[in-house]
Amino acid sequence: MNQPILAISDVRKQYGRAPALNGVSLDVQAGELFGLLGPNGAGKTTLMSILAGLLDATSGTVTLFGQPLSQQARSLRQSIGIATQDLALYPELTARENLTFFGRLYGLAGEPLRHRVEELLAGVGLTERGDDRAGTFSGGMKRRLNLAIAVIHRPKLLLLDEPTTGVDPQSRNHIFEQVRSLNAAGMTMIYTSHYMEEVQALCPRIAIMDQGRMLACDTLPNLLRRLESVLHLQFDTPPETLRARLAELPGVTGCTIQGQRVELTTPNAAPLLPRIATVCAELAQMPTTMELQQPTLERVFLHLTGHDLRD
Amino acid sequence: MMPTLTLALKDLRLLLRDSRSAVILLVMPLLLILILGLSIGSLFEQKPDDRIRVSVVNLDAGLSESHTGFPPKPWSQMVLDDLTNTGNVRVELIPTREEAERLIRKGDRAAVVVFEPQFSDFVQRCSFVGEPFTHDPINPLYRDGILTREIGVTILRNPSQLVAYSVINQVVQVTLMRVVIPWMIGRAFEMIGTPPFMDRMEQYIPALKGAYLIISKQTIGEGIQKGIGGFFSKYDFTGKTWAKLTKSEEPPAIAENRSAYEAPDGSVRLNRGAMRYQVLVPAYTVTFAFFLVLTVGWLFVAERRHGTLIRLRAAPLTRWQILLGKLLPCLAVSLAQGFLLLLCGNLIFGMSFGPAPWLLLPVVVCTSCAAVGLAMLVAGMARTETQVAVYGTLLVLMLAGLSGSMMPRDLMPETMRQISRVTPHAWALEAYGQLLPPPAEPGQPPAPPPDTVDVLRDCGVLAGFGAVFLGLAWWRMRLD
Repeated sequence: MNQPILAISDVRKQYGRAPALNGVSLDVQAGELFGLLGPNGAGKTTLMSILAGLLDATSGTVTLFGQPLSQQARSLRQSIGIATQDLALYPELTARENLTFFGRLYGLAGEPLRHRVEELLAGVGLTERGDDRAGTFSGGMKRRLNLAIAVIHRPKLLLLDEPTTGVDPQSRNHIFEQVRSLNAAGMTMIYTSHYMEEVQALCPRIAIMDQGRMLACDTLPNLLRRLESVLHLQFDTPPETLRARLAELPGVTGCTIQGQRVELTTPNAAPLLPRIATVCAELAQMPTTMELQQPTLERVFLHLTGHDLRD
Repeated sequence: MMPTLTLALKDLRLLLRDSRSAVILLVMPLLLILILGLSIGSLFEQKPDDRIRVSVVNLDAGLSESHTGFPPKPWSQMVLDDLTNTGNVRVELIPTREEAERLIRKGDRAAVVVFEPQFSDFVQRCSFVGEPFTHDPINPLYRDGILTREIGVTILRNPSQLVAYSVINQVVQVTLMRVVIPWMIGRAFEMIGTPPFMDRMEQYIPALKGAYLIISKQTIGEGIQKGIGGFFSKYDFTGKTWAKLTKSEEPPAIAENRSAYEAPDGSVRLNRGAMRYQVLVPAYTVTFAFFLVLTVGWLFVAERRHGTLIRLRAAPLTRWQILLGKLLPCLAVSLAQGFLLLLCGNLIFGMSFGPAPWLLLPVVVCTSCAAVGLAMLVAGMARTETQVAVYGTLLVLMLAGLSGSMMPRDLMPETMRQISRVTPHAWALEAYGQLLPPPAEPGQPPAPPPDTVDVLRDCGVLAGFGAVFLGLAWWRMRLD
């Protein structure tokens, strides 16, 4: 395991009387692609703003590379890149001019800057449109440019706040590729989204937030392990002894029958399936349909918060 | 410093690509100068004039060729001289009766005095004394003064402007009496003691004939004249002019009180180099310098709207660097605008740079400082494009109106001129007023050189405005 480069400890943020963050703590390891999952208003953007040095926490501590992070810690900003939820680029400037401008702000110049700009344009598939004004781009192209701007200075920590909001599938894939590629090159990333499938696909470790609180933070398998698989079996006429035979199978933690429908719960469905088939054969009553619900982040979220992620 | 310059160059590039700003800052003022110069430019060439204007058509044929002695010139000239030398009266000479009647009809003049062709002849015949002492005498006096029709004076009047007519009529009456009455007195006094006078006296005092045995008729006549003159010792009855009659000094001649009527120029001409551009170009240069408020405001709002302000804040930049990076391109644009407008004023409208062109430099620079300061203040307070457009435009127009930059400042009442100094515009206009004087009329001396101390004081005040505005902007500016 790498050493944590980012440590967040009991961070709280109040806007007036309304708490936006309520005692959030987590560590992010060097080179990690960390997912931050939560619905709109969960406090993700506030947390990202604090990590980007745009906001100061009301209380708690944030350290990056062992140094306290605050609005005043300007030297640390050289190590941070941010792709905000809303686009942040100049529509009147070309893609190349946008990249060059932000590169210069971070101290790049001359040939290294030119090389970096071309490298990034190629990376996000905008080389051909490099001299077109960003305002003429599609939403997806703007998102890709937005990501390229965020990494122009090769930050060690990249904050991606809902980077795929409102983009087409092609651009989304482009962004995913770019994120994976940057992470593979060693860049530490925090990726926030309210799209579970994105976080699930990209991030080995995920924190789930709701209403300013950190509800869980673990690897994806560990999060999923918190829930059991659910198996639904449909029978024409379930035999009297079916429930008792299924309930006594090893690995079954619960069994209920409602009319023709049987629901089994199990932490691991794979070894159970042949055993169920054997019981059904012995009872000469095969199920007409069988449906397996594996644990998902959505179900984990529902389990943790009591409401759906997109409520 | 590098990030500041990078930011400044980026904003400069954005400003140069913003056609809306180019229109507001450069095209609009030039268009307004052109339109106002063509339409009501002459208004900007008027000086405030509180004198009563007496319009005159002089058709007087003058005195006969055989005339010698008093008056030395036609009576109409005697009257015009008296009018002209009267304080607070301006005589305007209209060439024809038709033109005068047209002006009366249009209501452009309340009254016009017409000296008819026989005017000199009629005045010459004015006399207190009847036949046989004077041939065909005229008595012009009546209850209210001079009966004008008796001496060949017609006063045309516009019935809708009776008050103005009455004022002009009274002025003319006083002048006519000052001219005609001394003439009549002098003429009558000359007759006292003459043989015809003594002959008439003998009719009333028959004993006079006996006295001639002791003293000659001529001696008695001269004694009577001298005696009457001595009795009224404060007057000179032989004077024939009001000044001499009253033994006063002749009033000084005031040449500028008399001018020929100038018909309004109905043609639409640029009139390059006309005086109007010495007023219009600086006035609109100053007014539109402050329209920078809109450009800068929009620049800040766009930075927020595009989300790029967050990127700037997330970059390793200080607040000072961000604000300086914004301020520098605005100052550059403002300076370019000021110099370009003055240059266009010179090249397109023929505006003169005046006797000390180098002093225009600090005025343009200090005006830009004040404009940029105000622009940063508004940018720091406005949150949306609409707020910038509404509040910015209202503020700029209000300041321009208050300062007098949208009208000839010379026409403002003194109190308003003092009040206008709460605006930076007024100080800039005062400085330009010194530096860009109207071109000298032919034969007139050139305008005096500008008072450098005054101009530099105006620049100092403008810089002070800029510093105060920037201080407030720094205090009010919220980047989050």
